[in-house]
Amino acid sequence: MTASTTITLSYRKIIDAQSDKPWEKMVFEDSFTEFRMQAQSFDPLKQHRTFAELVQQVHGAAALHFLVSASVTGYLRQLGGRVPDVTDNLGKLFLRFENFRFEIIQSDRATIQQHRVAINFYSRPLYWLDTIHDYLLLSDPESAPTGDDSVPAILYRLSPFVSIHAIKKVLHEK
Amino acid sequence: MERVSFIKNSLAALGVAFVAPLANACKKDSNDTGSSSGGEVTNPGTGSTDCVVAPTETEGPFPTKSPSSYVRSDITDGRTGYKMTATITIGKVSNGCAALANAIVDIWHCDKEGNYSEYGGTGMQSTNYTGVHFLRGRQTTDSNGQVKFTSIFPGWYQGRATHIHVHVYDASGNSLKVTQIAFPEGTGSAVAVVNGYSKGLSGYTYNKNDNVFSDDTAGTEIATVTGNTTDGFTLAIKLNVP
Repeated sequence: MTASTTITLSYRKIIDAQSDKPWEKMVFEDSFTEFRMQAQSFDPLKQHRTFAELVQQVHGAAALHFLVSASVTGYLRQLGGRVPDVTDNLGKLFLRFENFRFEIIQSDRATIQQHRVAINFYSRPLYWLDTIHDYLLLSDPESAPTGDDSVPAILYRLSPFVSIHAIKKVLHEK
Repeated sequence: MERVSFIKNSLAALGVAFVAPLANACKKDSNDTGSSSGGEVTNPGTGSTDCVVAPTETEGPFPTKSPSSYVRSDITDGRTGYKMTATITIGKVSNGCAALANAIVDIWHCDKEGNYSEYGGTGMQSTNYTGVHFLRGRQTTDSNGQVKFTSIFPGWYQGRATHIHVHVYDASGNSLKVTQIAFPEGTGSAVAVVNGYSKGLSGYTYNKNDNVFSDDTAGTEIATVTGNTTDGFTLAIKLNVP
């Protein structure tokens, strides 16, 4: 028996009024619009301006994380399964994802400037083969072996807002 | 023990290899506050200012405006159950209940087991982004004040009669009405025919005991529901907003 380790990386992408790329701006604006719409279900009399107040005062308002997430899934689809921003040492995007979690960090229905959200991307599992200085040596279990039976490797240094989300030891029959 | 020492050793090795080259490599940054930070992030924005190789890929495909995933008429998302087509007509009371065009109508209801789509558990549990908002939909009323949805006949859960949630907004997204649609009951009704799917109707809460519908003695919240389990059901109701 031999053992190998797989890890799942998570990337928490924060989007707020300072975000300036087109994709981020669309997520920012559309999630704010959706927040204003959905918040009215929990606060028909508009007594609470901010997300924090709503969650504190209205039972069930934490469901807004989920309810507002529908405004961003169309944009997630546009990413084609690739986690944005996180690149390997060659500067290439290398993480694939199917799973996500959207969260509202803060919001105020009266002003979009206060709106701040995060999209957590959870990568598919990768083999963690070794650590070379401050780089992780990884390989994608789904990448095909090359002609001489070697496996394409990835060299990656953990960047801000990226963490190892889960770790798993896998046992192989020799 | 073995694991801890492994991590410790790795970190120690990292420390040595890490500080020395970075101190020089990052010096040309004008806002660099010196090497004592040892590569510490001074600007924790999501756009990386860390000392890593810049992206070498062309950007794209270029993003396009995408409506909320609620916007679709078929809200089934693979949930099984008897097909149900719902036609909801919105009228405006202040205009003699005439049809209201361009109103946004959200509906949501539970699946045949009585569960809503939502984030499971607590904390940072992840969810697959396809099909996560099952049995939730949004349509805009046409010139007849109508929206149509394709779904499944809802199940039921403890303490509530069968129902569909509805939220009506004006074209700008301002709330006009948050309400619920009730179902007819009794012999030959769709509720009796579906019989709670595999659950049966033992312990079912009927409209007269439901804490939302019990005050609706005139039955204005009760839809007309026709059909059968082979061809599916057709629901129709008119809802008037202020």
